[in-house]
Amino acid sequence: MKKKALALVLSTVIAAGMVGCGSSDSGNTGAANENVTDTAENTDTASGSSEGGYSTDQITINIWDANQQEGIQQIADDWTATSGVKCSVEVIDWDNYWTLLEAGASGGEMPDVFWMHSNTAQMYMENDILLDLTDYIANDASIDKANYYEGVWDLYSSNGKQYALPKDHDTIALLYNKAIFDQYGVEYPTDNWTWEDMYEAAKKITEGSNGEVYGMAMNTSNNQDGWYNLVYDYGAQVITDDHKGTTIGSDEGKAGMEMCRKLLTVGAPQSVVAETGTDSLFMSGKTAMITQGSWMINSFYKAENHADYAWSMLPYADVNGNGSCDAGERYSAYNGLGWAANANVADPKACYDLIAYFCSEEGQKKQAELGVTMGGMKGVSEAFSGAFEGMDVSAFVRAEEEGDLFFRPYTRNTTVWEDALQQAGGFLDAWQNPEDAATMATACDNAQKIIEDAIAAE
Amino acid sequence: MSKGKMTPSQKRQAIWGWAFITPTMLGLIILNFYPAINTVYQSLCKTGDFGKGNKFVGLANYQAVIGNTETWQSLWNTVKYAIVEVPLGIVIALILAVLLQNKLPGKGFFRTLFFLPMVCAPAAVAMVWKWLYNQQFGLLNNFFHTNAAWISDPNIAWISVGIIGVWSIIGYNMVLFIGGLQEIPKDYYEAAQIDGASGLSQFFNITVPLLSPTTFFIVQTRIIGALTVFDLMFMVMDKTNLALNKTQSIVYLFYTYAFTNSNRGYGAAIVVVLVVFIMITTLFLQKLEKKIVFYN
Repeated sequence: MKKKALALVLSTVIAAGMVGCGSSDSGNTGAANENVTDTAENTDTASGSSEGGYSTDQITINIWDANQQEGIQQIADDWTATSGVKCSVEVIDWDNYWTLLEAGASGGEMPDVFWMHSNTAQMYMENDILLDLTDYIANDASIDKANYYEGVWDLYSSNGKQYALPKDHDTIALLYNKAIFDQYGVEYPTDNWTWEDMYEAAKKITEGSNGEVYGMAMNTSNNQDGWYNLVYDYGAQVITDDHKGTTIGSDEGKAGMEMCRKLLTVGAPQSVVAETGTDSLFMSGKTAMITQGSWMINSFYKAENHADYAWSMLPYADVNGNGSCDAGERYSAYNGLGWAANANVADPKACYDLIAYFCSEEGQKKQAELGVTMGGMKGVSEAFSGAFEGMDVSAFVRAEEEGDLFFRPYTRNTTVWEDALQQAGGFLDAWQNPEDAATMATACDNAQKIIEDAIAAE
Repeated sequence: MSKGKMTPSQKRQAIWGWAFITPTMLGLIILNFYPAINTVYQSLCKTGDFGKGNKFVGLANYQAVIGNTETWQSLWNTVKYAIVEVPLGIVIALILAVLLQNKLPGKGFFRTLFFLPMVCAPAAVAMVWKWLYNQQFGLLNNFFHTNAAWISDPNIAWISVGIIGVWSIIGYNMVLFIGGLQEIPKDYYEAAQIDGASGLSQFFNITVPLLSPTTFFIVQTRIIGALTVFDLMFMVMDKTNLALNKTQSIVYLFYTYAFTNSNRGYGAAIVVVLVVFIMITTLFLQKLEKKIVFYN
């Protein structure tokens, strides 16, 4: 009897669980419908001015950065207010984002509107997975190519067609912990620092603390926000301008990576950064300096000890030895995401209008004001520096005005060589063994070959 | 029963029989057989983007897979993982099962406790262990006052990962063993007690042989399970981890090629190599079964 009762209880619980899932789903859509009718009424009253007449009442948006979800949703809601089309922003983490998107593209459910990235854009564009925006842009007076960062705009065009609009751009800066600098009596970084200065400061901190605190931390996976910049500062290129080769194995490339090696000798060991990550090490006060991109500001701004954190421009390489930063001696990598839509979406016009709103001056300014990211449009990012009260993030904007920007290196299948460079056989061996200059030189030669082979196979 | 025509009632039964198995059959065909055949086909192709434009290249992928030392290293890593997980998982589970057979206060509580890891999502398990193992902030290093790089020292990382596997599988094995133990008639133990056999000798002379069918079942399914391990390495090992080369399993390698590098054909060839390896292992085990498993 007891057993029967137990079985009954269990099966009821399971059944209730199933029903529960179903009902919560329908609850959501119910609520969504209500919202839609609400906003639909709004558009009715405001009709005439808005184009309206969309055949869909729901657009799904996929992104990979949870830090941006809130701001993006807010901007999308603004558009909903005039269009009557409800938007829902869903976050899927970076790795799964691409797996799911690719699975969706191969014949499944794809989101309507989503982010594109330089790593994969070429493949998606060539296979007509993305909605062709060329004609929409031609008929839209509010979108003018001249207003956007060229590198980002060009990234998303293929065979004369435009497949995405620039969402944002990012730059790199040096993040340091003032409390640690004070504790070990080291002067704060300035915009006039060379990489040598950074090395000296990191050395003082690492030695002063007997290895308790690391002066700096960099992982092989810190490419755009780390060692790529050194390669360019010293005059080499990870991927040449035509995207068909590399000069990482040249003397200049080796000089850049040699500086990197020197920094690593006073930085956190590879086994530590691989397990914990440079961001976590920094936030737990284990490391004094890291290099980071503007897309990460939010997580440091919200961190517990954020009052101790400060940003300065990336150090430069004084290649000609004249003691000042000349053109070509300081680079910051930049990259830009694109807003793209699914080619087979039910209502392409609605998707385009949403994308155009995201990338309009209004949407771009709001993105900067909310501190989501800097714009893909030029001249809208000043508000971004002011979005983080009490934290000076102007170094990112200065990197753009005073430093040289280079677009994040990419080829058709970027991930193939990018991953290989980070692992054993690539730079990992040198990272593991920073005392040995020969290992780093060999790693540069290996990197040259890895990239050339990958491009040949594309 | 003759093989003649079916009576109407037999026919009706047959129709109902088919009706009942059709959903499962369809599921198997669509979700299991078709993908399996498609995988073999893809392994013979240079696959295009998004499953379009496959070009038949014959055995080129296999040549590349077999000629690559990475494949054999990963297969060896997988076998090493199995060597840690399978025996330890079984021995510990067996001991626990025997102990939890006895009349013990809180028996249900302990059984639940040991089974709990099975209920946890593997990804969550891996995340928690990743932090337990952490060199800087991990509980293990703090507790033992050591400074071991549990998961980034290539010499010990494979053991560390194996231990997570053992931890997660013990509960499942234990439940199967408890099932097997309940099948053993009590008379044997009573007779042995009268003859004055000790607990330990009862265990080795009664429990172990009579439990051998269950043990064999667990060994076989766990070996196959361990050879297809993926989520532990994927979640625990960072891409820039020094020990990744020495711990990544063959399914991890497949994932890298098929999904990260979008080289489906090469990935499919890796999987087929793994399937063949599992087939050989299973065949060997089946031969062994006749010699060592004791069926009443």
